[in-house]
Amino acid sequence: MEKNLLTEFSDALANAVELAGKSTVLVDARRRLPSSGIAYTADLILTADHTIERDEDIRILLSDGSQLPAKVVGRDPGSDLALLRLERPTLTAIQPADQPARIGQFALAIGRPSSEGVQASLGVISSIGGPVRTGRGAMLARYIRTDCIPYPGFSGGPLVDSSGMLLGVNTSGLARAVALTIPSEIALKVAESLAAHGHVRRAYLGIRSQPVELSTEAQDALQRKQAGGLLLVGVESGSPASKAGLMVGDILVGLGGGPVSNHDELFALLAGDVVGQVQTLEILRGGQPLQVQITYGEM
Amino acid sequence: MNDTLPLTDSLTLAMDELIRRVRLSLVEIRGRRFGEGAGIIWDTDGLILTNNHVISRSVPYVLLPDQGGYEAHVLARDADIDLALLQIDTLQLTPAQPAEVLPRVGEIVFALGHPWGQRGYLTHGVVSAIIRAQTAHRHKVTLIRTDVPLAPGSSGGPLINSQGQVIGINAMIVGGDQSLSIPITLIQEFVAGVRARKITAI
Repeated sequence: MEKNLLTEFSDALANAVELAGKSTVLVDARRRLPSSGIAYTADLILTADHTIERDEDIRILLSDGSQLPAKVVGRDPGSDLALLRLERPTLTAIQPADQPARIGQFALAIGRPSSEGVQASLGVISSIGGPVRTGRGAMLARYIRTDCIPYPGFSGGPLVDSSGMLLGVNTSGLARAVALTIPSEIALKVAESLAAHGHVRRAYLGIRSQPVELSTEAQDALQRKQAGGLLLVGVESGSPASKAGLMVGDILVGLGGGPVSNHDELFALLAGDVVGQVQTLEILRGGQPLQVQITYGEM
Repeated sequence: MNDTLPLTDSLTLAMDELIRRVRLSLVEIRGRRFGEGAGIIWDTDGLILTNNHVISRSVPYVLLPDQGGYEAHVLARDADIDLALLQIDTLQLTPAQPAEVLPRVGEIVFALGHPWGQRGYLTHGVVSAIIRAQTAHRHKVTLIRTDVPLAPGSSGGPLINSQGQVIGINAMIVGGDQSLSIPITLIQEFVAGVRARKITAI
């Protein structure tokens, strides 16, 4: 049979599934259908937290058909990610894509919800959104949506590009009834944190605040257009905010060079492994801008 | 393949060529109601393959791609694996090319049929999984699951690969978005069985 361009494309996709399939495992940790997981290192598996319904007796089915027990290393319900560890390092780690996902790019959702082999669905990157507050309370700086079919048991499995490289982790557990993909840059950072600390360290400031509008005078003093800020209505004693000299009545307007006009923006700036970092807070005190240094604490 | 064309144009051209070829082997099967399903021309001498559930009367009516219509004789039907073979009295048809092996997961596939009565409707996707399923009366069979959209009227139409070869026959939709096709391996077994019986009968 003569090879045409379509056949080459088709072969490339099947090769991508085969490659990513080697790093996609079955995760049996809930009563109903098993879910999928991604080989993060030779012994660590990244999966969707909501599919881990028990801490004991978690079984992993590898691409070669072998079955191994796994233990929970850490869980981050906020981003719906969990990290599991196999007793023996036998996995082939997935390769992350060089470039973040682009809208229109072909993508394959890969899963292994049954012992019958790897499964796949083809689509394109439909949109890239965020930051968004997930149904589980955390801020997701970015998320990917595709028109791939989120088959049952695909949660925790990889979204890969046409070469089989990781673009993100698929889950239907973050937003009700909607399948999202957590971009690989974010998912791998969470995995790193889970591997190192067993949980995701979230920054702590020690303030209570409410969003307020900024007057034109306040915006003039800031020398920029900014609709709102966060009025401090409480500062916990002994907290990083208290040590930095923040007072009730201050209006938080910026952090680390970025503007803060509402809670979502603040959470987005505090995302990631930033505990212990020193940053510059920008506040309005008595209508005048003021910069103070703060050391992020751990929640 | 034309090297001077941009990639997307070459790809479109390859698809166009392939689909045009396969369309020559696509038929419409009519029963009591208007347009009940699709079928595939299996040899030059009038053998037509379709799903058993598409056949609702003893003399189905087969509409060829060139609009010629024939009353068909039901040669064999198997409700368990949902396959049927029809014979129409004509020669020099363009049969579909069967693939020889099962497809790989991730392969690009196309489905041709008449969903909701739209003639020769084309949809595409990839092979999502190769699964094993238990039939009502017989053994476990292999099925091809795809993410190709199907609808009533798609039944009996071919699932084809990027080379235009038939890798299965589109049979059913499960859970709204899981399309199941009967693989070429099972079809060949069925056809060979019918042909063997035919020879014995003579």
